Amino acid sequence: MASLRTYVIVRTLMTIPIVLILLTLVFIILRVMPGDPITSMVGMKAPPEYIEMLKEKAGLNKPLIIQYLDYLFGILRGDFGRSLIWGERPVLYEIFDHLPATIELTIFGFAVSVIIGLITGTIAGVRSGTKTDNALRIYSILAYATFIPWLGMMFQLIFGVYLKLLPISGRIEPSLTIDWKPVTGLYVLDGILTGRLDITIDALKHLILPSITLGIVLSGAYTRLVRANIIEVLGQDFVRAAKARGLSEIKVLRHVLKNAFIPVLTMMGLQFAILLTGAVLTETTFSWPGMGTFLLERIKYVDYTTIQGTIVFFALFVSIVNLVVDILYALIDPRIRY
Amino acid sequence: MKMAKAISKTAAIALAVILIIAIVAGAYLAMQPKPTPTETSPTTTASSSPTTTTLAVKNQIVIGVTDKVSDLDPANAYDFFTWEVLQNTMEGLMKYKPGTTELTYGIAESYEVKEDGKVYIFHLKKNLKFADGTPCTAHDVVRSIKRVMKINGDPAWLVTEFVEDVEALDDYTVKFTLKKPVSYFLALVATPPYFPVHPAYKPDEIDSDQTAGGLGPYKIVKWVRDQELVLEANPYYHGEKPKIKTVIIRFYKDATTLRLALERGEIDIAWRTLNPADIESLKKNPNFQVIEVPGAAIRYIIINVKMPGTDNKLVRQALAAAIDRVDISQRVYLGTWTPLYSLIPKGMWSYKPVFKEKYGERANLELAKKLLKEAGYSEDKPLEIELWYTPTHYGDTEKDLAAVLKEQFEATGMIKVTIKSAEWSQYLDFARKGAMQLSLFGWYPDYIDPDDYTTPFLHSKANKWTGSGYANPKVDELLDEAAIKLTPEERTPYYEQVQGILADEVPIIPLVQGKLFVAAKKNVGGIILDPTMQFRYWLLYWKE
Amino acid sequence: MNIVNAILEKLKTMGLLRNSNALFKAGIIIVAGIIILSALAPLLTPYSPIVGTGDELAPPSLKHPMGTNNLGYDMFSRVLYGARTVLTVVVSATLLSMAIGVPLGLISGYYGGKVDRAISIVMDSMYAFPSLILALAIAAVLGASLINAIIAIAVVYVPTYFRMVRGQTLSIKSLLYVEAARALGASDSRIITRYVFPNLLPTVLVVFSMNIADAILTEAGLSFLGFSVPPPTPDWGADLRVGHSFMLAGYWWLVAFPGLMIMLLATGFALIGEGLSDILNPRREAVG
Repeated sequence: MASLRTYVIVRTLMTIPIVLILLTLVFIILRVMPGDPITSMVGMKAPPEYIEMLKEKAGLNKPLIIQYLDYLFGILRGDFGRSLIWGERPVLYEIFDHLPATIELTIFGFAVSVIIGLITGTIAGVRSGTKTDNALRIYSILAYATFIPWLGMMFQLIFGVYLKLLPISGRIEPSLTIDWKPVTGLYVLDGILTGRLDITIDALKHLILPSITLGIVLSGAYTRLVRANIIEVLGQDFVRAAKARGLSEIKVLRHVLKNAFIPVLTMMGLQFAILLTGAVLTETTFSWPGMGTFLLERIKYVDYTTIQGTIVFFALFVSIVNLVVDILYALIDPRIRY
Repeated sequence: MKMAKAISKTAAIALAVILIIAIVAGAYLAMQPKPTPTETSPTTTASSSPTTTTLAVKNQIVIGVTDKVSDLDPANAYDFFTWEVLQNTMEGLMKYKPGTTELTYGIAESYEVKEDGKVYIFHLKKNLKFADGTPCTAHDVVRSIKRVMKINGDPAWLVTEFVEDVEALDDYTVKFTLKKPVSYFLALVATPPYFPVHPAYKPDEIDSDQTAGGLGPYKIVKWVRDQELVLEANPYYHGEKPKIKTVIIRFYKDATTLRLALERGEIDIAWRTLNPADIESLKKNPNFQVIEVPGAAIRYIIINVKMPGTDNKLVRQALAAAIDRVDISQRVYLGTWTPLYSLIPKGMWSYKPVFKEKYGERANLELAKKLLKEAGYSEDKPLEIELWYTPTHYGDTEKDLAAVLKEQFEATGMIKVTIKSAEWSQYLDFARKGAMQLSLFGWYPDYIDPDDYTTPFLHSKANKWTGSGYANPKVDELLDEAAIKLTPEERTPYYEQVQGILADEVPIIPLVQGKLFVAAKKNVGGIILDPTMQFRYWLLYWKE
Repeated sequence: MNIVNAILEKLKTMGLLRNSNALFKAGIIIVAGIIILSALAPLLTPYSPIVGTGDELAPPSLKHPMGTNNLGYDMFSRVLYGARTVLTVVVSATLLSMAIGVPLGLISGYYGGKVDRAISIVMDSMYAFPSLILALAIAAVLGASLINAIIAIAVVYVPTYFRMVRGQTLSIKSLLYVEAARALGASDSRIITRYVFPNLLPTVLVVFSMNIADAILTEAGLSFLGFSVPPPTPDWGADLRVGHSFMLAGYWWLVAFPGLMIMLLATGFALIGEGLSDILNPRREAVG
């Protein structure tokens, strides 16, 4: 047990420098970035003295090292700072305003990609070496090579512009949310919780195109993963034994699937970083009011504290997920030791 | 054995994910401010809350916009759309007559000008009341303006640059003492920093989410930032009562969503800002009306007259001659902006199309080539210039504008253009430092007066922000003179002369002037727009 | 291409080249096709990609096979010349990140110790960073230009090469014959150049072509978000951005073709990578 404790401690300590380096990288990149949020907001008509005064107030005239330390200690206390524009709201509020939208899109996007990945991967695995397998391999390459905005636009064109079947932007009809307060920020769930099924249905409609777009592009990787696992599991002794015992094909397949699905789950746990990339493009294409569009907007205004806060939040989120997953692994599998 | 382990692994991961989501959700709920700062309940009881139905309700109009309300405090708000909201919920001493750029009385009933224009005395209407019935006197006017001066927010210069002191002579008389005579002071008084606000506003700090308002035709009954703003007719308004009781403004992320919302009947009016492509498609739709009016926004190129190449007047004239504004208007803006041949927009007094008179309506390549040759350039030794633009501040059409300008300049065969860009704040910084040779800028007026279109650009003391480095004592003298003369008739010759010098020396090339577009359901009436670019919600009604 | 030929030659003699390289061939055909078309662009279209044809928003026709955009630029011409922009940015960026990542990985993996730990931790942090966001931040800092886009994309892929090379170096280092060579007193530089580097090459090549495929998407993403080459330079991602609002008004040809090209070119490089890895690592063949 001593070695397990050592592992947990070492693994936790390992996270600290990584997070610290990330924080520093973010700070450096942003401060090298030309321009500043104050000038960006007040515009060209304000006299330079006003701008100086406002900068002073926002603490932008302090020495960089002081700003850096303020920032680090702030985050240590859970204080992500205040946005430098639009009413000086705390960055955490802003993050929590936009995070649920991204989480919702991500959950549905993942669901789509996992479903596609499982189906195509299973077929390819079971029929490995056939034409179907080759065709699915090509599919996985094409899916990977598809440019998210382009696929999204094609869906918008077909289902929104020509067929007028589905909404092509936003999360929900604004008219539905008047006098309605979300509980978790995940509208599909909130609609059920508050007994407003119309909201759930509308939110689902808005989710269809963006989540299919995101899902298809991410599905290629799952196709391969599932296929490889199926092939591996099919070759394992217990499957052969089960077959030999005369278990039906379907029962065998259930065993196989159960085992093949585990690595997929692992991959889901580790893909948070990749998510934001996909989310920026999907959200921009579909005007989805999530973290991606939010971050992009603030990059254009050089709103340091918000950009810093958002990226740091994500970095922490990813690091903590990785940490927790690793530790849980270690608890289960005694062979993993640092 | 392996199976069992595998399943517990699955469980572990699922557990980890659930745990993290729970922590985040918990943090989220804990972070929820109570009450939410962005959502403010009105001080007065809302007698009828707006319905959620999307059907056309006859005493309600829904307007969709892509703009944002930045700050509901007139001491700090300094963007176009917020000013529009403020002008519907507050009123100043003077205001514009709808559909014109003429000033008329707001809460004042008369005024006097004394000491050669250094002192303005306004007499207020009697029985003025805020939206909750609180009386408003001259002391409230003075308190509000002094508050703006003290807070010194973004638009405060509109007061502090001009006003020495403001005092209440009695309950109905306000006296302004100016630093020097200002011929357009009445136009200044019509801007939001001069609006009297309810005593509920924090006296010496910015009160961004305050909805108590002022003396306007509407009052705010609900505001959820970036989602919706609900206005209701102000029962104590001193002027004509609005025809529509409730106006709901919905905020959309982008122009396309806005257009679709109109097409689906979710909103009655689509206001700022539709894309040119969306306007085109709405014009073809028989269910909607698209109304266009000339706007007061202008676009232009600032030329650095200190940099080698463009320090030569002949070169600057050649650039002016090479430009085809009709082409720009059609290709870049699909006709949503119109050619502009002076810095003063068309439709305003003293406007003179000086660039058309001097260089022609469209590109004059022969003249451009001749001027370039005179300046010592040729096909083999072309003029090399840098053209700067900023990618987001002026919208997506900006890169198209840069591309088309490059095309037009290069059509002379004697110019090579390099396009460069910088994000807004850096762009402004470069401008102040004079680091850009040719840069694209735009202007929305603060007050509707030729002065706001000339002095900030051409006066050597006022043009520091442009980066043109242009200085001409003659121009300074003309502008200073024009600013203290009192009537438009007296001032016009000065501005005409300034425009003539502008077209000859070309420190700035005007390009296009904005048009405003409103798309609305066929049966919406009372959409009256003018170069002030402010939409008056109180004039709207349903046609029958 | 000499190195590629040499390696393929070597592999052929090893008898590893089987029918699965159909992927590789297909990839080469796609990529070579696009390179040739873009090189021959002036012969294939009479229009400049940055001068208006006087015909705005014209649908595809014989005169303009892919239509024209809102400024009257011929889309076929922009698509062909756009390939030049994309290939220039992406290939230079990938070569640049290879030039930084491979030596760093070699040093880190071969020598180990504190230097290794320091470089590794920085690289791991960068790796954890969402790639497009990193490129975006760098591009925003540097400003929009061809060179800056190359730098921004190059930085993103340095950790990929680093991690791969470091891992490979570690395992090659412990191979018996390498240890033997060291025991016989071969110098570090000799071991690196004689044993480690040649053994790395095949994997580097696979990663290189997979990386180009990924970099094409990153470049497109950057310019789609408005952080790449300045206008009017023809560029597929930028054309998608401009075309988006027009597409919603029904002008589909402004976005359809540039997007297809992004997919085609990325597929081409991905196929080459896949084919190469099949050739170099025939295990998959055994199972599939």
